[in-house]
Amino acid sequence: MKARLLAHTPYEDIKDRLPELGWRHLLPHLAYTFAVEKISRACSHQLVRHRVASFSQQSQRYITVKRLSERVVTPPTVDDSERFHELVEKANQVYLELVKSGVPKEDARFVLPNATETSLLMTMDGSALFHFFGLRCCNRAQWEIRRLADAMLAQCRDAEPEVFEKAGPYCYMLGHCPEGRFTCGGMAEALERYRPDR
Amino acid sequence: MKLELVAHTPNVETMIATSMLTTTSGAQPSALYDRLLNKPEKVRGLVGRAEVQHGNILEHNRLVWELEATGDEVLEATLDTKFLTFMRLGETRWLVSGNLRAVVEYAQQRKTPLTDALVASFRDVAPNVHGFLEDKER
Repeated sequence: MKARLLAHTPYEDIKDRLPELGWRHLLPHLAYTFAVEKISRACSHQLVRHRVASFSQQSQRYITVKRLSERVVTPPTVDDSERFHELVEKANQVYLELVKSGVPKEDARFVLPNATETSLLMTMDGSALFHFFGLRCCNRAQWEIRRLADAMLAQCRDAEPEVFEKAGPYCYMLGHCPEGRFTCGGMAEALERYRPDR
Repeated sequence: MKLELVAHTPNVETMIATSMLTTTSGAQPSALYDRLLNKPEKVRGLVGRAEVQHGNILEHNRLVWELEATGDEVLEATLDTKFLTFMRLGETRWLVSGNLRAVVEYAQQRKTPLTDALVASFRDVAPNVHGFLEDKER
């Protein structure tokens, strides 16, 4: 998996022009475009639930999935599972047979698993991005999207440290955990992990 | 009414072209972007075909303007389009932002002093998109 911040609205340009406005006021006016690469379709399904964003994703209608076994994201918990790898191989075989027999790719793809790799461009405004980090950097988020959120946050902190040193999981941003009885109990560790000078 | 572009994301048309190719190419978007940065002719060709694509290719950017306008003028604009973000800075001063899709669709749907100013403001930022809007108007 790889996340790269390709472009963003330069905060400094607006700050120079309107010094009376703090970065929090400007968040809705700032946009961040990432290349998000080699994540699973399971992860991209979670990503698109963040609706205040724009996505351009590799289309399985146009792009043939070749060598599926080399283009899947394998969760660590099933890495040793022979059944998982057998199923991926089988799906690959059936997919290619269908395509070869003339079935359109847009239909053949129905046999592909959620583990299939995908890449996309994603643009979010600053407010949506803070919310995304609040939810997805949280210890309770699923591992793949949490890893992605951490990679995106690192890029944002490099590009705009003044703005993004305040971003992280909600416990880091709010000073308390909003997860109620589902709390991971690891807030102290999270605060340490996201400390900007670390 | 007075409008001035204050900031924008860089390489707007390169990003449009990257977005177009991302959906149909097996190459990674960051590699496509890097490749296209040095190929303005290719970008021009791709953006020239942008009209037939999904509008979302115009969304991977943001433009920020400072606007001087009355409350009534801004109310009219917010009733016309929900995809521009307005923030009041003073009695008649506003910060406005949005992506190119919001501006293009707004300008295609209504012709007002504000849409004219919005379109004129991105002439240098996205010259090919600006060009096809002008051609349509002729």
